[in-house]
Amino acid sequence: MSVDPVTIALVQNRLDHIARQMGWVMLRTSKSPIFSQSHDFSCFIADGKGQLLSQADGILIHTGGGGFAVRALLKAFDGRIREGDVFLSSDPYAAGGNHLPDWVIFRPVFVRGACVAFVCNRAHQSDIGGGAAGTYNAAATDIFQEGIRLPPLKLVDGGEVRDDLWQLLLLNSRTPHLLDGDLRAMVGSTKIGAQRVAALVEEIGAEAANTAFDAVLDHAERRMRQALRGLPPGTYRGAERTDNDCFESKDIWIRVAITIGDGEATVDFTGSDPQMKGFKNSTFVNTHAAVYVAFGSFFEPSIPKNEGTYRCLRFVLPEGSIVNPRPPAPQTMSTVLPSHEIIHACWVALGQADAARSCAGWGKITHASIAGKDEQDRTFVMYHWGALPAAGAVAGRDGFNQTGHLNTLGHLMIPNAEAYEQLYPVRFVRQEFRRDGGGAGEFRGGTGIDYEVEVEASAEYSFRGEGARNPTGYGIGGGKEGAVGIMTVAEQGENSFEPPQFGIAHLGPARFAVASPGGGGWGDPLTRDPSRVLRDVRDDVVSVDAARALYGVVLNADGLAVDAAATAAERAARGRTA
Amino acid sequence: MSTETGGWRIGVDVGGTFTDLVACDPCGAIHAVKVPSVPDDPAVGVLDAVERMAGAAGMDLGALLRKCSVFVHGSTVATNAVLEGKGAKVGLVVTDGFRDSLEIRRGIRDNPWDHRTPYPSVMVPRYLRRPVKERIDRRGRAVTPLDHADVEAAADFFSREGVESIAVCLFNSFAEGAHERAVADLLRAKGLDRWITLSSEVAPVAGEYERGSTAVVNAYVAPRAIPYLAVLARRLRELGLRSPLLLVQSNGGVLGIDQIRDRPAVLVLSGPAAGVGALDLYRPAIGADDLVLMEIGGTSCDVTLMAGGEVALTDSLEIGGYHLSIPSVEIHTVGAGGGTVSGVDPGGLLFAGPRGAGARPGPACYGLGGEEPTVTDAQLVLGRLAPGLQAGGTVKLDLERARDAVRRRVAEPLGLDLDSAAAGIVRLVEQHLLHAVERVSLQRGYDPRRFVLVAAGGAGPIHGVSVGRLLGCRRVYIPRLAGAFCALGMLHADVRHDVGKAVRTPLAEDAVAALDDSFRELERTVTRRLAETGFSGERTRLDRILDLRYAGQQTSIPVPCVGGVDAIRSAFEARHARQYGHIQPDGGIEATAMRVFGVGKMEPLNLARVPAAESLPQPRIVRQVYLEEIRGRADTPIFDARNLGGGHRIAGPAIVEAETTTLFIGPGDVLSVDGAGNFSVELGEAKRVG
Repeated sequence: MSVDPVTIALVQNRLDHIARQMGWVMLRTSKSPIFSQSHDFSCFIADGKGQLLSQADGILIHTGGGGFAVRALLKAFDGRIREGDVFLSSDPYAAGGNHLPDWVIFRPVFVRGACVAFVCNRAHQSDIGGGAAGTYNAAATDIFQEGIRLPPLKLVDGGEVRDDLWQLLLLNSRTPHLLDGDLRAMVGSTKIGAQRVAALVEEIGAEAANTAFDAVLDHAERRMRQALRGLPPGTYRGAERTDNDCFESKDIWIRVAITIGDGEATVDFTGSDPQMKGFKNSTFVNTHAAVYVAFGSFFEPSIPKNEGTYRCLRFVLPEGSIVNPRPPAPQTMSTVLPSHEIIHACWVALGQADAARSCAGWGKITHASIAGKDEQDRTFVMYHWGALPAAGAVAGRDGFNQTGHLNTLGHLMIPNAEAYEQLYPVRFVRQEFRRDGGGAGEFRGGTGIDYEVEVEASAEYSFRGEGARNPTGYGIGGGKEGAVGIMTVAEQGENSFEPPQFGIAHLGPARFAVASPGGGGWGDPLTRDPSRVLRDVRDDVVSVDAARALYGVVLNADGLAVDAAATAAERAARGRTA
Repeated sequence: MSTETGGWRIGVDVGGTFTDLVACDPCGAIHAVKVPSVPDDPAVGVLDAVERMAGAAGMDLGALLRKCSVFVHGSTVATNAVLEGKGAKVGLVVTDGFRDSLEIRRGIRDNPWDHRTPYPSVMVPRYLRRPVKERIDRRGRAVTPLDHADVEAAADFFSREGVESIAVCLFNSFAEGAHERAVADLLRAKGLDRWITLSSEVAPVAGEYERGSTAVVNAYVAPRAIPYLAVLARRLRELGLRSPLLLVQSNGGVLGIDQIRDRPAVLVLSGPAAGVGALDLYRPAIGADDLVLMEIGGTSCDVTLMAGGEVALTDSLEIGGYHLSIPSVEIHTVGAGGGTVSGVDPGGLLFAGPRGAGARPGPACYGLGGEEPTVTDAQLVLGRLAPGLQAGGTVKLDLERARDAVRRRVAEPLGLDLDSAAAGIVRLVEQHLLHAVERVSLQRGYDPRRFVLVAAGGAGPIHGVSVGRLLGCRRVYIPRLAGAFCALGMLHADVRHDVGKAVRTPLAEDAVAALDDSFRELERTVTRRLAETGFSGERTRLDRILDLRYAGQQTSIPVPCVGGVDAIRSAFEARHARQYGHIQPDGGIEATAMRVFGVGKMEPLNLARVPAAESLPQPRIVRQVYLEEIRGRADTPIFDARNLGGGHRIAGPAIVEAETTTLFIGPGDVLSVDGAGNFSVELGEAKRVG
């Protein structure tokens, strides 16, 4: 049956709106700060076959991955899904999950007795058991140390909550009071989503709705195919490494070959290293999601993001590798690391196909979370987000000097230092741009941050120094790499030391300092507009020496203007030698 | 100064192209005047408009001003300085170690997928952000004294650089502003005494980014806004105006120039915030306290929710990518208006917005070179707007150009006939409007179906009934002067002065009692400022507010500080339950800020009544208009609003053409005209996808 094009546009907008509505309900009703403050959840809608139709609400690294979980559910409960049921799953190996702390609530939508869609909510739980509080166990060497594993489960049976199962879940969490409220909020958000989707399907009829859903997916597919047709056919390679396995220093590579065909691409990770000992293995679904972020961010932002968008991508993921580990490999860090490396590798490959859209690398996280007791003897957990790294440059924009994680393209509100001083026993000393931290380029990489905090209480430090050993923000098209990160700790009255990249330390009151990694530069620094170099020097984010050595820009003696003649001569001389 | 009753009330709104004046004469009749703006000296445009009004009323300029009891100015001078990047050269003094929060911007980007678009340029470049050694700790104690030499060095640097205006934002100054005041004294001693903004005074909130950004925006607009307003006030006074020149603030209230001299940043949302006054004005006639306003102009729609007669204020305001922490009316804006552009994307999907065609080229039917079909073009194609001269002869709508644009850009690419294509554009934009209203209400825990939808703005009344139906509302209210809605609101807005300060205290009897002195001090400040504006005694109202949250939360809810702790706690819990769906029965509650909201009650504006209907309403003509309900055209009567009297009832489908707007109702709807000539529409049953 055919559906008129206006209805297709209305249905697409409506689905996006319903996904957002579910998000508002979740924000309004969940209890954990991880949802109400950090929005670490995604509401999505899939059709009756488990194809993701909309994920307008949510975080980028979840994009597109939800369909796998719905299809795993359909397989497990084939023929046994009834109106009034609600399901739950999490396991990345057995249930199409992305990483273990992200639980998915699924509610089938029935119209006139037929299941027409699934409305779902994927949300990062505050605690799921395992070897460390708060879901991230950096010491884990298998998934059993990371928390409870959930296959597809029926949580609500024909409208009746399975109380025994509910209690089992609460019993396996260190924060049952939060989990109880958050699960209720997740279930509640799918309830309003199901009502709205059912109303939409009833308004236009089930058959028309199915046709419209297909058309929504087809439209996204056409947009992505058009984008790929803009690239010359061929095979483009990219590689990126992590320099540690959370236990020791060693290079572990992610290698990708992207073969562009006629409006399609094969993303082949053959040659990537085997799965690692630590918890930075990217599960099958997470690797898909990270590649989706890489492609989605490389092209026009207006291309819709649903499962149709990525139909034209074919994946080759070697089993037992870091991008498709075998159970029971640990994996909780995967949404951040190695998602960062996967996105980088894909960006490097795609950048060869379209240099104008190429993206320089973003600095990798180099900070710590700390946990301890404050003056009132209350437990606190604080993430040093104020030490987040910098973004790389793209054509037309310098890198952001400080930004959130690459897996969400920086979508994280960096906290005010003053707010943290009110919440935690810390005193901030400094949070300022680094000098010469950004990779030089026609467009400069972000500077990274000089960060220094006095932690007034004894605390357990969990380090995440991914960017602390090697530069991580690669340059592109002649641009230079960003500065390496530096992480140091000094207990009161003691000398400062560089902690391990990953690991845990118990310290007394201490000064924690980070120079966070800079972003990579884009394009030849010798072609950077000299007035921008002057501004950088005046802003003291590029030194006078670097202006000359890296950018070929010479300033007047007072440092207030570009010496145009000397700059031209300097650049011409480099041009000859380059 | 006086704000005596019984005189003329004049509101003047200076826009980029036109300066609009709306006046209410002593009998309650409304008059409107439009003159070209004079961008180089906006005051000239203001005086031109007043002179024109005086002429129309048979008076000279001075006579009208002398008879004026309320003169309100809705000035976009601050807004435009921000949006056009034409503010002052600002220097910023910060605590050593915290030079960059203004440029880190907390990493906030609206669309994370769009990582290629740079931030708007930072208002104060890093080299003009000067560090000084000092430190206030988290409880407000000075733990490192202010280094005077650093301040003097900064002052010398600013002088050399030709800085016009200085902002000061020191770390933790929300807890204690002494060091900021000392910086100001030192700057003045160095001769930099013209424009100094202290973050602890303009936005005493915890959070160095938002507080500093507010101070910077204030410093940026002050030298552009204040001298202009002062000159205008003086000229009006010299010409005979005896009441104070009042300005619309972002919180929807008005205040005199002398009371905002130190904080002109409160003017940045001046325009749309005036809608609150208009909602108050029409509330008695509507007979409901739960209203949702959809004010639609050329390129955007502002949605404002009034629940129980109150419009929510927010502390966070964004303009052009810059963030401010000042009390503002909570307004959600979407890119959906008459000039919203539509077309078909490269994947073959119909879109409408968010981009608008602007004043130039504008809709295709304006004939100014626009080729993309807009919503206005679609409505013209569908017969809902009349071709030819419109809006008092200021534009001419060319039907053929509209048909051509819709045909080439939408109908042909999608394989649709012309009417279906045009109707599709309208349906899509109305869906965006629906979603905007649902967002504002659902996010705050309200069911929009209980609300009366108020459709205003030039383009509001043509969509109001359709959107109201999609929402599930039963009634839509449309003011006859929909096009001058916010300007009218200015005439009715109360004087308002809000002050506050950050605190950190548990919600307990002794702790709240201990705040009493501070509350009294805030009340003295507010009372003084209201008195300076001519309000005292019974004509004022002071409300004490506490911003409360459960310990550990990061956002607070403002709650009236009335009664004992138990009463305050229940009030907080009721609000928390509506907003978040749950309460924490054993949760500790803490206050993060205390505020005093001061209101000077303006005399109610009594609009003149229209004559009661004496005969049945007669349509001007009958036109073939496209109706969504039958997916085709049908004969539809077109009425002239001037011929409609109080008590008239019209069954849809019908169109009413008024001076500044066009109203459209569908089959099954019933429109009635109230005593003031405004329109109330009872919606009939009809279903469609939206």
